[in-house]
Amino acid sequence: MKDKITCLLFVVPAAVFLLSRMKSSKTNKEIRKTYHGITVNGISMTKKEKIFIATREKEKGNEAFASGDYVEAVTYYARSISILPTAAAYNNKAQAEIKLQDWDSALQDCEKVLDMEPSNVKALLRRATVYNQLKNYQAAMKDLNAVLCIEPENAVAKKNLLEIEKKLKELKPGYKTEGRGKRILIQDIEDSEGDEEGGENAEVCGRSSRDKKIVLPVRGEAALGKAEMGNAQRKFHSKGGGSKLEDRGTQKQKESTESGLKKGTEEKKSQKTDHEGEANGYLNSNQTSESPEAGQSSRSHGAGSLSAGAAHSTSLPPAAAKLKSEGNELFKSGQFGEAVPKYSEAIEYVISVGERSPDDLSILYSNRAACYLKEGNCSDCVQDCNRALELQPFSLKPLLRRAMAYESMERYRQAYVDYKTVLQIDSSIQAANDSVNRITKTLIDQDGSSWREKLPPIPVVPIAAQLNRWDGGNFTSEVKPKSPTDINKEEQLQMNREKAEEKFRTLKNEGNDFVKKGKYDEAVNKYSECLKLNTKDCTIYTNRALCYLKLHKYEEAKQDCDHVLQIEDCNIKAFYRRALAYKGLQSYQASVDDLKKVLLIDPNVLEAKKELEEITQLLSLGGVAVADCQQKQRKKITIQEVTDEQEEGQLETAEDVVTDNLSSKEAVQKCVPSRTCEKLTISEPSNAYDFGQIVNAVNASKDQSACADLLTITDPKKLPVLLSNKLEGEIFLIFIQSLAHYILGKDPGLVYQHLFYLSKAERFKVVLALLSKNEKEQVQRLFDLLTENQNHQYSLEELDSLKKVYEL
Amino acid sequence: MSAAGLERPQVVVHAQQSLNYTVFDCKWVPRSARLLCLGSAPRGTGVLQLYELRGGRLLLLSEIEKAKPIKCATFGAASLQQRHLATGDFAGSLSIWNLEAPEIPVYSVKGHKEIINSIDGVGGLGIGEGAPEIVTGSRDGNAYNQEERVVCAGYDNGDIKLFDLRTMSLRWETNIKNGVCSVEFDRKDVNMNKLVATSLEGKFHVFDMRTQHPTKGFASVSEKAHKSTIWQVRHLPQNRDVFMTSGGAGSLHLWKYEYPAQRSKKDSEGAEMGVAGSVSLLQNVTLSTQPISSLDWSPDKKGLCVCGAFDQTVRVLIVTKLNKV
Repeated sequence: MKDKITCLLFVVPAAVFLLSRMKSSKTNKEIRKTYHGITVNGISMTKKEKIFIATREKEKGNEAFASGDYVEAVTYYARSISILPTAAAYNNKAQAEIKLQDWDSALQDCEKVLDMEPSNVKALLRRATVYNQLKNYQAAMKDLNAVLCIEPENAVAKKNLLEIEKKLKELKPGYKTEGRGKRILIQDIEDSEGDEEGGENAEVCGRSSRDKKIVLPVRGEAALGKAEMGNAQRKFHSKGGGSKLEDRGTQKQKESTESGLKKGTEEKKSQKTDHEGEANGYLNSNQTSESPEAGQSSRSHGAGSLSAGAAHSTSLPPAAAKLKSEGNELFKSGQFGEAVPKYSEAIEYVISVGERSPDDLSILYSNRAACYLKEGNCSDCVQDCNRALELQPFSLKPLLRRAMAYESMERYRQAYVDYKTVLQIDSSIQAANDSVNRITKTLIDQDGSSWREKLPPIPVVPIAAQLNRWDGGNFTSEVKPKSPTDINKEEQLQMNREKAEEKFRTLKNEGNDFVKKGKYDEAVNKYSECLKLNTKDCTIYTNRALCYLKLHKYEEAKQDCDHVLQIEDCNIKAFYRRALAYKGLQSYQASVDDLKKVLLIDPNVLEAKKELEEITQLLSLGGVAVADCQQKQRKKITIQEVTDEQEEGQLETAEDVVTDNLSSKEAVQKCVPSRTCEKLTISEPSNAYDFGQIVNAVNASKDQSACADLLTITDPKKLPVLLSNKLEGEIFLIFIQSLAHYILGKDPGLVYQHLFYLSKAERFKVVLALLSKNEKEQVQRLFDLLTENQNHQYSLEELDSLKKVYEL
Repeated sequence: MSAAGLERPQVVVHAQQSLNYTVFDCKWVPRSARLLCLGSAPRGTGVLQLYELRGGRLLLLSEIEKAKPIKCATFGAASLQQRHLATGDFAGSLSIWNLEAPEIPVYSVKGHKEIINSIDGVGGLGIGEGAPEIVTGSRDGNAYNQEERVVCAGYDNGDIKLFDLRTMSLRWETNIKNGVCSVEFDRKDVNMNKLVATSLEGKFHVFDMRTQHPTKGFASVSEKAHKSTIWQVRHLPQNRDVFMTSGGAGSLHLWKYEYPAQRSKKDSEGAEMGVAGSVSLLQNVTLSTQPISSLDWSPDKKGLCVCGAFDQTVRVLIVTKLNKV
């Protein structure tokens, strides 16, 4: 049989490929060079192709990163960057370089990201890490403070800041740096979840398994625990679901084996994680539900509601607070048995002191219940939950714990009722939803179809206790009407702040979208709303200024730019836009001043240079043809804004691709305008290959004017050679169109020449034969126009004979 | 369903279309929502159909009949702009088609005396860096091409051979004791990373291709998946560590490869040898009673995939939550 097997290889001559040949075993540098070569040589890739290839290279980088091959990852990120520099690629590259301990390169990359996006949190964090490693503590602190300005809740930044401060104080640099560095890295990765575009997800997922292993051994360290849990929570959450089933036992074997498939030997570990994951994560994942446990303000990143709270819960007597925090620590490290007496002591103390603070007591009971639940002591757990619920009816965690306890005790009806109650309070708790489904099934098995009748009544939750995820802004005050302490207010404020941030971001994105669609009025509205939420974000002002410019509201544009410049005195965009505004207001001198400043900051801004020339001319002419200039202005700004958005979020481009895929041709055509922004630069083709490349690009974008440029600079006599055997219907058509629409008006002689030599090209006859009626008419029209514009360069007889060649 | 169950990727049938011919292969047209189905009509001619996904249905855009049944196709060697399709047919001819003008092939050559069972290409779509190259395999040969310019072929006696095209030599061979149905590299445009080979009796092997030991070759892990032949394996283009296998009983299994902590180690003589990771099942689903013979992930939209089965049906599937695995 084997001798029959054949494997053949064909090198296909007909196909033409984008990139030049490259040897496969190449070093990092070589790759970069070649890719630069490609882009610089300008085998004109359209923007879409660039995005496509850059994204793919980045994905490859993410995959390599996931498999732990950081050198390779850096290579691919570098490729991605050389094709299309994006902040995300730089950021990922920096992360890989941190892994390789290549601090200098990482620093450079972080800086590039920050050039593009001055407030990129991850880049700031990474740069801080690098500075920390380079023992430049001051700079690291500066970066971390910047992070905290943007995200006051960032737990990683807070922790690192503390560490660095400590280091600075101790003045013992170098001590244990290694360990610390590692910790930071881990968190960094986990932290990146969801925040950056899809690519980074791969990173997170790929790492997760190994990271957990790294994380686990050090968990004992109290300082570490917090931050990690916040980040790792989501993953542990799901795992928790699995192993809880095991705890509870028998009848769910099947499910748990399924979900436990991955765990295998890691079971012990994951159980440990589970405790923590549950203690905080179980409910925290939907943040609304934190409140009962947290008479504490630890909403932020779910960073251990049990633990973090202790310090803040002022309403507890100090001794009880201390006991509670001890209990929390023990709970976190999995020592549930030892946590119980701590909580008990705290409870006794609180009762003996006789302070009536039902919510704190309720939390203590609830925490103890959690310990009991973990120990499998379900009846005590139920008791504690009952007590907690007496003190604080309809608080979420005790209810949920009681439900789980009931479920473990196989008292499904009670469990069902409790889960249902939980769902009334907050319908978004996945665990409760799942359990309800599961229990429903069990109950149907047990009691038959009339199972509902045997249920105890489900209490109706008063509306005041119901949580709604979406307007959770003021839920805290609703849940705890009894204790409107200061802490609550603080918590509420924080909530509001975060909501506001989120709203701010969506508004901004909407605004950007409107700008892209050219709906400047709506965009202005959105940006204005943004500014109500946050008056300090310069980009909003500059963006709004841009919209005002488009709407010819120069005065408003100027004001916005002024505002930005008050905050940031060297914002280049603001200067540029103010210059345009001044220009619109016809105060050319001011405009020139601003443009000069722009060029002072960055001498490479072409637009500014051009604008400057133009305005200087205008100054001397005394303001002629203003309207004309405005026309031009608009065009230029479009270009700028598009690149601007590229920086702002790769996500958009990804979406672009998606819509492109799923929508049909029409949508593709809609995209064309955005593509025309980057005009194809045409240089004279020297050989058939170059020519083919350009023609393909022209053809792909259906850019008639570019094609006209190409035909103008191409010698008609060379046309048959340059076309070789690549003449196709589409190319033929675009030639005809651009000849008719662009060149005929300027130089009918050239049109004739081109038509003449086109007919000499290979495959001309074939193409002609395949033309549709409509297309034939286009050719006919071109000839008609030629006849009308006849001049000395060709005679009517010649034209007639050529017509015959074209079978007209 | 437990909480963990919902966290896993789900495989959902998005659209299905029954056909009046036997479908051998289906392929997404790059950068579009269109797909190609090709196979053999009852009277022994070849059929090539172009469908478009529109509003949850497959809309037939065009259909072409050819003299010989078409067994396999690839866009691997086509550029983004041209998107020419390369096919292999029952007569052993390789043809390249311009789908805009499918009447005559752009290029055609008779490479084999008998059926072409598999085809693959590189150089197009920006994959790899070189001239477009297409490789075909006949009579149970499976051949795939990759950036290091190697071709891997699987044989019905269980042999897997890796040919180096630069030196035109055999670089590595092994035997998996069972007829090989399908082999695929996890990515064509990186240095060899992993190779998956599936077998007649329901096992598949994942080879870590990074480290080649002078005597032991490549490290591998094997998994018994389906109770029947595994017809196809396809890696997710957006994440090389996730792949789907299609079984003879109409089932699809989604897998994830997890790397070991260290991908290579030194043996007693100090030579580098690879360490295989582990494979975990993410999801399985049974779609048909007949074998699923072809499978293709959309190169553009993560999680979108099409499969053709011997019950003369093509199905468009959506695999969810792939960014969380």
